[in-house]
Amino acid sequence: MTTAEYILPRADSVSWRRPLVVFALLGFLTTVLMVLNIGVGSVYFSPEEIWKTIMQHQSVSTMDAIVWKIRIPRAIAAVLGGAYLAVSGLLLQVYFRNPIVGPFILGISSGATVMVSFVMLTTLTVGMTVLSPFMTTVAAFAGAYGVMLIVVAVASRVKSGVTLLIVGLMMGYLCGAVTSILTALAEKEKIKGFVLWQLGSFSGFKWSEIAVLLVCGGLVLALIYLLSKPLNAFLLGEEYAASMGVNIRRFRILILLCACALAGMITSVAGPVAFVGLAVPHMARLGFGTSDNRILIPGACLMGALVTSLCDLIARMLLSPVELPLSAITAFFGAPIVIGLLMKRRVKL
Amino acid sequence: MNRTHQSHILTCGNLSVGYKDKTILAGLNLAFEAGHFISLLGPNGAGKTTLLRTLSRHLEPLGGRIDVLGRSLSSLSAMELAKIMAVVLTDKVSPPLFTVFEFVALGRYPHTDFLGRLGSEDRSVVQNALTAVHAEDLAYRPFADLSDGERQKALVARALAQQPRLLLLDEPTIHLDLKHRVEVMAILRDLCRSRGITVVASLHDVDVAAKVSDRVALVKDGGLSDWGVPEAVLTGRAVAELYDFNDAEFNSHLGSIELRGDGRRGRAFVVAGMGSGALVYRMLAKRGFAIATGVLHTNDLDYYVARSLGAECTVQAPMEAINDMAMTAAAEQMEVCNVVIDCGFAVGPMNRNNVELLRVAMQKGKSVLSLRSSELEVLYHTGAKTSLVLCGDVVHLLEALDRRFPVNDFTQNLPEYSLEA
Repeated sequence: MTTAEYILPRADSVSWRRPLVVFALLGFLTTVLMVLNIGVGSVYFSPEEIWKTIMQHQSVSTMDAIVWKIRIPRAIAAVLGGAYLAVSGLLLQVYFRNPIVGPFILGISSGATVMVSFVMLTTLTVGMTVLSPFMTTVAAFAGAYGVMLIVVAVASRVKSGVTLLIVGLMMGYLCGAVTSILTALAEKEKIKGFVLWQLGSFSGFKWSEIAVLLVCGGLVLALIYLLSKPLNAFLLGEEYAASMGVNIRRFRILILLCACALAGMITSVAGPVAFVGLAVPHMARLGFGTSDNRILIPGACLMGALVTSLCDLIARMLLSPVELPLSAITAFFGAPIVIGLLMKRRVKL
Repeated sequence: MNRTHQSHILTCGNLSVGYKDKTILAGLNLAFEAGHFISLLGPNGAGKTTLLRTLSRHLEPLGGRIDVLGRSLSSLSAMELAKIMAVVLTDKVSPPLFTVFEFVALGRYPHTDFLGRLGSEDRSVVQNALTAVHAEDLAYRPFADLSDGERQKALVARALAQQPRLLLLDEPTIHLDLKHRVEVMAILRDLCRSRGITVVASLHDVDVAAKVSDRVALVKDGGLSDWGVPEAVLTGRAVAELYDFNDAEFNSHLGSIELRGDGRRGRAFVVAGMGSGALVYRMLAKRGFAIATGVLHTNDLDYYVARSLGAECTVQAPMEAINDMAMTAAAEQMEVCNVVIDCGFAVGPMNRNNVELLRVAMQKGKSVLSLRSSELEVLYHTGAKTSLVLCGDVVHLLEALDRRFPVNDFTQNLPEYSLEA
């Protein structure tokens, strides 16, 4: 944007043009990727076949099962996963005023991992075979929220965001230590399944899970959008925010709850997916050219959906039929982007 | 409710401030009147910032009470308080990708709807705030690119956008260059005078505080050492005690701080008057001379400067011709001095005797350095002209002094530095 445009008296109409263009572009690309994710896979179907299957969802054919039970849920999960993780990361970055914060740094994923390791590596749940398909999900959720509750409890006592950040990091280390001990003690056969879960994947989402994610996540997102005004005030730091009328104590608990809810939801089903929560908020900030959270919250949703859809597509297709770990692809994407952004110092918080 | 509090925007009753187990200031009783400029002065670490942070509710008071517009500070909601009070802190804020206008607009927080959308009134308030701090031209610059001075102006504008009645500022001029220091203080004073905003600022510059404030609070040693109008509170002694000055003095008449020298290089007798000596005194003090001076009228600028610099002054009441008693006293002072300096004062009926004093000096063989440039100008005639040196200006005076009183060569004490290595 040129200086001349900036100085126009109706600066508002100008500053809205860029976000609208970026929104449209991201929306279009995400739709294209969703279509690709449904259309492309290790088994080849022609576009007409897929179209027919989607339109006439009744048959009991294999193709129907593949499209309706595997590909569509997975495509939707990738979109939701990216969106939720990105917004979760955005909230935490604003809250901690720290660009290297993501849902994973606060120990949320480590909490989920440690609980899942209990389920998958030990024999504590032997008696509960009926529950076993849901056990990982439930355990991950419990772990994520357990760690989050500790962090929130500390948050209400500690004033400084940095201290809280360190508490989160330490929680992560503690959980990691427990996980590694359990891994060392576990039987060989069990370890592989656990390692695969740890790599993160959007496969295996059930429709019921997607419905829960949509409803709960949607509500949380709506709540977060309503918080965008205090979030903007928070860009100046806690003390300025308080002096402008933000109820700090209530606000910070809300922020942490929302961030953990979104990240926990995704992690419990998909396993830990790295870097999306960390890198996407930066990409959104740069793409939209603003720090205004009223634009960034929907912006990060779309950007996150786009990035995870793309990463999932690459993970599935690059060495098809072997599926690459999703976290590896997101890391290949995320790490250079974060380093590049920080080197350019365009996005410092 | 106490009616007498109505004209006060903020009052503290027996307030104690500090952190959990450490009281920093106690027993504070203050009442800030609406539209006043209030300065908090005190040495670093005395608790100015702690007090400000307590007043702005960033810290809980340890005891006592704070009332804002007659209501207890703790009973106000965050929004209510934000409409009354705005703050400018020392924290370095640099929100990314914000223009100055957007940054200042964040100050509209307590006035906008739940999404923080700006209405036309909000826009004009923001514009107005930018105008008040002379920063209209910064409006569409990225906030992160501002210099320290410009940033401080933007921070004040953001606070103004809250439309507060009370503005708390922590060290608003720290890190600023002279231009912006003066500008920011002028802006703050104007906010008091023309908008009726009460400004409470912790300041470092006593001289600036004395000139700007309606009230000053001196903070030291765990409490308020004085509180009142600066003209009464900021005496030389009070300021010296506040900052533990040993070799400096604040002169309330001059509104400046004079730095005394150690007087090790020798003792100079200065014959001055009518402002001719002020610069010479400062120069001598700076260069390590002890100063005696006379005969000065007590309404003379030279007298104020000389006294603040700790010079021995022989004086005469204003509007009186210098009498014999003063002459004798001055001659005695002159006797023990190593050099006599004539500042080139104008001569009239009241100070004619100062010329006599110079004549006495030369008769006694004292070396006299004169700032006059021609011998004709030297209205005295003596047989001992050899001891008179005409310097003409301060530069030559300095050279003459340095020739007579060589500066200690401290480099002798430094460790040997060899280039060979």
